[in-house]
Amino acid sequence: MKKTLIITGLFMFIPMLLMASEPEKKSSTMPEYGKWETFTTKDGLPANKIFCVRADGDRVWIGTSHGLVLYENDEFKTFTVEDGLAHPGVLSIDVSELTGDVWIGTLGGMNRFSAGEFETFTQFNSGLANDVIYSVVCDREHVWCATGGGAGHYDTYKEEWAIYTERNAPMHEPWTYGVCAGDNKVWIAAWGGGVIEYQYESGNFRDYIDPDGEMEIDLFPDDGVVHDITTAVSHANGILWVATYFGMSRYDGNHWKGYFDHDSGLASNFINFLKAKDDVVYLCTDEGLSTFNSEEWVSYKKTAMGGERLYWKDGESSTKSDPTGIAHSFTIGVDLQGDDTIWVATSYGLSRGTRIN
Amino acid sequence: MKPKLIAQLLLHIITGLLIFLPVQQSAAQEKDDNYGKTPSEMLPYGNYQDAYIYHFHEPQLFLGAGREKKAPSGLTEVRIGVLAPLAGNVMSPQGNQLLQGAMLATEEANVRGGYKGLLFKVMPHNDVGLWGAAANEVVKMSDEGAWAILGTIDDVNSHVAIRVALKLEIPVVNCGDPDPTFTETGIPWVIRVIGDDRQSSYALVDYIHHQQGHKRVAVLRANNRYGRVGVMEFRDAALRIGYPLVLEVRYDEGETTYDAQLERVKNSNPDAVLLWGNALEMGLIVNQMKQMGMDYPIYASDRSVNPQFLEIAGKNANGIITTCQYNPKGDSPKLKAFQANYKKRFDQEPDVFAAHAYDGMNLIIESIHMVGLNKALIRDKLTDLKTFQGYEGVTGEIILDASWADIGPIWMAEIKEGDYIFSPASWKWK
Repeated sequence: MKKTLIITGLFMFIPMLLMASEPEKKSSTMPEYGKWETFTTKDGLPANKIFCVRADGDRVWIGTSHGLVLYENDEFKTFTVEDGLAHPGVLSIDVSELTGDVWIGTLGGMNRFSAGEFETFTQFNSGLANDVIYSVVCDREHVWCATGGGAGHYDTYKEEWAIYTERNAPMHEPWTYGVCAGDNKVWIAAWGGGVIEYQYESGNFRDYIDPDGEMEIDLFPDDGVVHDITTAVSHANGILWVATYFGMSRYDGNHWKGYFDHDSGLASNFINFLKAKDDVVYLCTDEGLSTFNSEEWVSYKKTAMGGERLYWKDGESSTKSDPTGIAHSFTIGVDLQGDDTIWVATSYGLSRGTRIN
Repeated sequence: MKPKLIAQLLLHIITGLLIFLPVQQSAAQEKDDNYGKTPSEMLPYGNYQDAYIYHFHEPQLFLGAGREKKAPSGLTEVRIGVLAPLAGNVMSPQGNQLLQGAMLATEEANVRGGYKGLLFKVMPHNDVGLWGAAANEVVKMSDEGAWAILGTIDDVNSHVAIRVALKLEIPVVNCGDPDPTFTETGIPWVIRVIGDDRQSSYALVDYIHHQQGHKRVAVLRANNRYGRVGVMEFRDAALRIGYPLVLEVRYDEGETTYDAQLERVKNSNPDAVLLWGNALEMGLIVNQMKQMGMDYPIYASDRSVNPQFLEIAGKNANGIITTCQYNPKGDSPKLKAFQANYKKRFDQEPDVFAAHAYDGMNLIIESIHMVGLNKALIRDKLTDLKTFQGYEGVTGEIILDASWADIGPIWMAEIKEGDYIFSPASWKWK
C-alpha cells in the first residue's frame, strides 16, 4: 500500500515538476513579416556582407565589411576610414538613449560618433581590452563592449575604463563575443565560458555555464546554457536569451530551457546573433531568421522563388511561400524599427521586412 | 519445470529486455563512431546516462555567401598569413620553426611555378604582444589580402584567432595547438592537422594504466591553459576507467624551484608522475625530482619532445615516456626529403611544429591550385573530408574527424640514452 502511494505520488509529482520548468505561455500575437525588400551594392551599399543593423528612430545604422552606413530619407550614406572610422569592418552598433551618440564596434577599435565627428578608442589610447569589438551596448551612461581580449566597460561620465577577463571575473576564458544590458544588470556572452552576469548594485559577477562540463555533448537540455561557446545574449521582459552555435537557451531567472533545431522551430543550431524585443526573440542563424515568443516559432528563409515562412507550434509545422524573401538565409544581424518594420543583416545584402499581421 | 515457473521466467526475461534494450542500442550507436575516437568506456557520463545531444558527428557546413566572388585582378603574389609566437615568448623557438616549415612549403611550391605564375608569399605575424594580439594580427592579415592563415601554437591565441577568422571568413589551418576545445567551437573555417591532447591523453592513459599497471598517478602541470586543458582530458579519461588522479599540482611558467610542489607529490604516495608543461620547466622538474631521490616512473606531455628538454634533463631524462604527434624517425621518403631540405635551408633539424606547418601549408597550397583564389572555396576544399582525408604528409597520415580535428596516429616516445625511441601508440581498450 505504501509502495502504491509512493508510486502514485511520484506519477503526480513528476508532471507537476515538468510543468513548472515549462516557460510561461504567451498570449500575445506572434508578429509575422513579409513584403521583403533587399538592398545591395546596387542600391548604394559599400558591400554586400552586412554584419549588423541598428534602428534609431527614422534612421538606420548599418555595419558592413566595407564601412558604416546611415540609411535616412531613403538614401544610404557611407562612412569610411577616411571619415574617421576605426576600421572598415563594422561588427556592432548601438545608440545611446541618453545622448544620441552612436557607438560603433569595428575590427580595429571602437568609435563614438557624436555631433558629426568620429572619436576613436583603441588599445593604444584607451582602456579597451582589444581592438576587435564584437559587440557594443549602451546602458545609461555606461558603454559595454565584448572584445577579443575581454569585456570592456566605459563610464562616459567619469571617462573611466575597466577590463574584465578571467583574472577578475568568473570567466573560464578571456574571450567575449556578445553583451546586453537590462534590469540594472549586464550579461556577457563569454566564448567558452557561458554567460557572465554583472550586477551594478553589488559590483559582483556570477556565471552561468553548461553544468555537464563537456563540449561534445549536452547531457540535459534544460539544466543551464546549452553550450559554453556562447555567441550572443539579449534580455527583454525579464527573459535572458542566449545564442550558441549549438542551440539556444532561455532563462527566466529560475529555469533554463534549451531549444534545438530538431525539437523546436529553430531554423538551425548555428546562431550568429539574437535580439529580444518584448516577448519575442529574433534569431539570426545560418539557415534563416527565426522568431519565437516562448510558444510558437516563425522562421524566414530565402528560396529560389522568393522566400518562405515556416511555422512551428507544439510539434506541428507548416510552410507558406512568399513572393518576397530575406536577402540570404545566412543571417548575421537584426533589429526592429517601430512596431512594423524589421531589418535583417545577411551574408549577401540587407533586408527590410514589413509586419503583415 | 512447471509451466507457471517457465511463464514467470519468460516474463522476467522480456521485462529485462524491455528495460535494457534501448540503452544497449543507444550505447551501440555511440560505440561504432565515438567522437574523437573516444573509447566507449571513456565517454562522458557513458556509464550512467545518454546525452540529449552528441555534437561533432556531422561537419558544420558554411552556408553563407562568398563562393561567387571572383579573384581580384592585378595580383602580384598569393599571400598566406602565418601566425606564430615569433618573438618575446618562451615558445618563440618553436614559433620560428613553424614559420620555417611554412616557408619551405611555399618556396618549394614557387619552384614548381607558384599559382598560375604568381608566387606564394608567407606573411608572418607575431601573436605575442598586446593583450589579445592574435585578434588584431588576423585582421591585419585579412587587410593584407591573405587567402588563408596557418598557425598558431598557443591555445589562447588560437582561439582568439579563429573567432576573428570566422567573422572575416578566412580559412585557418592550425598546425600547432593541441587543445581539444579548439575544434570544438563549431567554426566551419578551421581545420587542424596536428593530433590533439585528447588523442595524446588516451594514448597515455592506456599506456600508464593498462599497459604499465599504474594505479596512483600524480600530475604536476603548468599553470597555464596548455597545462589546464591538456591534463583535463587525461584526468577525465583516467577517472572514467577507475583511476582518479591522486594529486594535481601546478607551477607557474618561469619558476625554477619546485620543492613545495614535489613535497606534495611525494606525500600523495603516487606510483607514477605525469608532467604537463613546456620543455624548460619539465626539464628542471625532472632534475629536481632526481635530486630529491624521487624515483617514480615519469611520463610527460608532448612538449618534452624537444632538444631543450634533453639538454636540461640530461641523463635524468632516460626512461621518461611521452607522446608525439608524428614519428620524426619514420622512413617515409617524403619525410626524409623534408628533413634534408629543411636542414639545408635553415641549418637546423625540423621540430614537430615545422613538420606540421609544412604539411598544413601544403594543404593550403593544394587547395588553392584546385579551386583558385576564393576563400570560401578554399575552405570548402580543406573541410570536405574527402580531398585531404588520409593525406600522406611528412607527419604521416592526416585523418580529420567531423570537427576537423586530426585523429591520425599518435606515437609514444621513450627517452633512451639522450634520444627518443618512437613506437606507435596501440590502444587496447576493453
